[in-house]
Amino acid sequence: MLFDINTAIGHWPFRKLPDNDASALRQLLESHKITMAAVANINGIFYKNTQDANLELAVELAPHRDFFIGVATLNPVYAAWERDLEYCVRTLGFKGIRLLPQYHNYPVFSPEAINIATAAAQLGIPVLIPQIIVDKRQKHWMDVETFVDVNELGRLCRKVPQARFILTEYRIQGSLTDEDGKPLYPNLYIEISRLRSAYMQDLAKLAETLGSDHLLFGSGAPFKEVSPAILKMQCADLSAQKKAQINGLNAQSLFSL
Amino acid sequence: MNKLKKYDVIDTHNHLSADSTMKLDRADAEWRIKAADLLGIDKLCVSIPLTAPCPSPDEFIRANDAIVEGMRMNSRFLGFCFVNPGYQAEALREMERCIVKEKMAGIKLYHQYLICDPVMKPLMTLAAELGVPVLMHAGKCTDSETLKSQPLLSNAMHFLKAAEMFPETTLIQGHIGGGGDWEWNLRVLEQRPPNVYIDTSGSVIDRGIVRKTIDALGIDHVLFATDGIFEEGVGKVIDAGLSEGEYRKLLRNNFQRILAMRKV
Repeated sequence: MLFDINTAIGHWPFRKLPDNDASALRQLLESHKITMAAVANINGIFYKNTQDANLELAVELAPHRDFFIGVATLNPVYAAWERDLEYCVRTLGFKGIRLLPQYHNYPVFSPEAINIATAAAQLGIPVLIPQIIVDKRQKHWMDVETFVDVNELGRLCRKVPQARFILTEYRIQGSLTDEDGKPLYPNLYIEISRLRSAYMQDLAKLAETLGSDHLLFGSGAPFKEVSPAILKMQCADLSAQKKAQINGLNAQSLFSL
Repeated sequence: MNKLKKYDVIDTHNHLSADSTMKLDRADAEWRIKAADLLGIDKLCVSIPLTAPCPSPDEFIRANDAIVEGMRMNSRFLGFCFVNPGYQAEALREMERCIVKEKMAGIKLYHQYLICDPVMKPLMTLAAELGVPVLMHAGKCTDSETLKSQPLLSNAMHFLKAAEMFPETTLIQGHIGGGGDWEWNLRVLEQRPPNVYIDTSGSVIDRGIVRKTIDALGIDHVLFATDGIFEEGVGKVIDAGLSEGEYRKLLRNNFQRILAMRKV
């Protein structure tokens, strides 16, 4: 099993993305032997009313429910997010939510983020937070250049210990461990697509430090090429059992599949 | 995983590291060889560029000494000589030493000066006389942090100008995926200046980046590299949908052709 927890459909306004509808994305992922994927709608980054993006996503996913699970994009500083969350989970069958504090303009450690994370925990679904969407060095003049601060996210993790957070696009900015090398945030999970592997074995070392049950395979498609993430897993000096956890078993557990 | 091994791949832009006394970090060098083995890379072009605004001759000579040590440690490392063009006489002497005596493969420049700055002329002339390429750190970065920290970062427009100023010199624009607006760089270089090459390295793995680079410059002017970011460097090439002939040119033959221009 290879479960990609970091994919998207929709329009990115600053660069033309290939394969950004459900059918094309599925074809791309399956060509890399990926067997399931969690997917969110890029449009939810930009729509004021993110629920329209979630409804679009549900329509796109309808023929592909055997392959994709939906991740709702929600904005806890906008109206009606509580009802939207309930609807996405109970009616649309989405299995997680995605927060974008740097785009929706609120601090990652804030009353609003605490409230929505608490609500997600009550529904038993994880909260995905991308550290970045694209490399800021190539930012469009209308794009943001801030990223999610791991220490601030850590405060949120501690404030809502019953919630499970997945940090995607993590690139070693901010520590995940204390001075003794112990994990700081037991409810924080890391997606691997920006970790070094063959050189320095950062991925394998992080699996040892946090536990291999705390890492998740993700590619970042269709923004990013898929093979680099696959190579990272292949090059990681980890047992077959630990690789199986990262490649899919952990995602199955987190998304209650 | 070793899909590229059969091509005897040359990574045309990589690095070695040195400690604060500028001694080679041998453990780091071993990590790079291990990574190259895992990913099917044969040889690695390595340099130790100094990123300060004005590194002294003593500093760049010691950095190059560490590269010489690396080349002796493992013959899979092909050295690139780093100099600061601001110290003209010392830089020229160091280029002669590194290329002629130490058999390095090329020159590496960082962001101390733009590639089209007139201060470059003596270096570019000597590189052409020696028949070795000049690889430069480059990019079209648009974020405030990089604009502030690297005000003299060369982009494709600077390379286009340098190509006219130094027509006998082989210029390599570093890392199309090294950050920055790569599409902007390609729109400039689609004019295909005959002496400009670009390498594929860098952490940016936007879908289509390698294919679009080849389409813009032509396959003969694109060089494979990782810049030490190994899985990204190899993975984006695997996903580029290249023909067998394109693989051979990108991964080895184009750079071999450059190496064959050597005159000393």
